[in-house]
Amino acid sequence: MRRSFLILAGLLLASAAIVLGSFHLGARMGGGAGRTADDLEWLRLEFHLGEPELAKVRVAHEGYLPVCRSYCERIAAATAEMVQALGPGTNVPPLVDQKLAEIGALRAQCQAAMLRHFAEVSRLMPEPEGRRYLAEMQRLTLGAHEHLEHSMASPAGASHEHHGH
Amino acid sequence: MKTEPGTLVGNEDQPLRALLLSARPAPVLPPRFKQEVWRRIERAEVAREAPSVPWLEVLVGRLLRPRFLVAGLAALVVVSGTAGALERSIAARTAARAQYLAAVAPNTLR
Repeated sequence: MRRSFLILAGLLLASAAIVLGSFHLGARMGGGAGRTADDLEWLRLEFHLGEPELAKVRVAHEGYLPVCRSYCERIAAATAEMVQALGPGTNVPPLVDQKLAEIGALRAQCQAAMLRHFAEVSRLMPEPEGRRYLAEMQRLTLGAHEHLEHSMASPAGASHEHHGH
Repeated sequence: MKTEPGTLVGNEDQPLRALLLSARPAPVLPPRFKQEVWRRIERAEVAREAPSVPWLEVLVGRLLRPRFLVAGLAALVVVSGTAGALERSIAARTAARAQYLAAVAPNTLR
């Protein structure tokens, strides 16, 4: 009986070693190598884009990047001004309200440009994939806000409820 | 010399027989020989009466069959290798998605 236990334990150990070794070997030989040079690699993989479609998407992508960068720079500059306006004091000067409104407006414009870009890219893809791309991008970029707002508005966010004093 | 069948020497060779008997070496038994013999017999009986696990014996017997060993080894290699490749592919796709998102939707907008 002891011999059977020993054999069984040996077989289990050998199996575990084989599983680990094969898993690592498979992972090493499997496709994909982490970060690639091409930002559009995900679109090619996920939405099965051929070279002609990818070339059209690349043109749209490269056209959109300077617009996005410009908005990001303006938002960063307005944020820096707002922080400067806040100063070391404990009150909020009116200039901060103005800067916050400016940042909000810039973010809204940037987001609108981003959504227009997603719509444009989706139109460059074959029909079912384009629709899926648009839904996925909206989920990924707008979903985070929705989640945050829902969590703040839910009864669990009791800190937002105003009780009578 | 005529010998009867089945006997080494005939009855008439009594002196030779006596000589052979005297030449047989008398072994010197180690101390506590009898106790040791009985102890071994008892141990063997206990081992025989020990509870065996029939299913384990059957399982090990089947696992050690060459056909089963080869098939099991092949299945483990194929399944684990495929799982590794799949995991790598998923990780690569997730990294590619993060790279695309970072390019088109900076964190300030998400």
